[in-house]
Amino acid sequence: MPGTPSLPPGRTQRLRSQEQAAPGCDGFHTARDLRNAGRFRFWMILAAVAYVASTAALRWRESIPEISPAVQWILVGAALLCAVAALHRYLLFLRAADELLRRIQLEALGLGFAAGVVVAVLYPLAEGLGAPPVGERAIAVVMLLAWAAGSWLATRRFSDGA
Amino acid sequence: MARHTAILGRRMRNRLRVLRAESGWSQADLALRLGVSRQTVNAIETGRYDPSLPLAFAIARLFGLAIEQVFDPGDERVPALTG
Repeated sequence: MPGTPSLPPGRTQRLRSQEQAAPGCDGFHTARDLRNAGRFRFWMILAAVAYVASTAALRWRESIPEISPAVQWILVGAALLCAVAALHRYLLFLRAADELLRRIQLEALGLGFAAGVVVAVLYPLAEGLGAPPVGERAIAVVMLLAWAAGSWLATRRFSDGA
Repeated sequence: MARHTAILGRRMRNRLRVLRAESGWSQADLALRLGVSRQTVNAIETGRYDPSLPLAFAIARLFGLAIEQVFDPGDERVPALTG
């Protein structure tokens, strides 16, 4: 074995402190991944809250006249901005992610996208045969569920089961 | 073309587990040194995942070896990539 692998003391110390500070280092996430995933989750939650608030405001705008159209627009705009921010955060997370984690996420996204396309293209045929109609949001739900399932499957495939 | 696919689709063998054991490191230790997750190290060691080229070079450099001393494509014949 030519040469024993070693790091400078300062670097080793820094690595040790990172290890202590990042329990996720033992799994699929590095400390950076956990940080980025946390930021993504924050914006996702904010987007979900803004979406629920704007949906409620639009649904009951007839019965709650004090909510002016300007406020409704602000609520919808806030939901949109939060969703865009969450998307941006997800891209940053994906770009900086540990390479195995990125592979898992890309496989999951591929499955989610494919499932969405299959449902969007094929379900109208079933509707023509009498299947109950579903809205466009159902496609988004299918994509999200397939993404989650793909993420679970890929994680299981690469995991050591520890 | 089918020959290329057969070679490129094959998982590489590697000596990572042996090298790590010789250094007395856990998978988590090695993962920290490489800046990847422990599961990435485990997946490479068990042959479930082939690392990217930068990571493969980082692994070889960490152990003071050439990349082909750590990773073995499992086929000595190099395919002609032209045509």
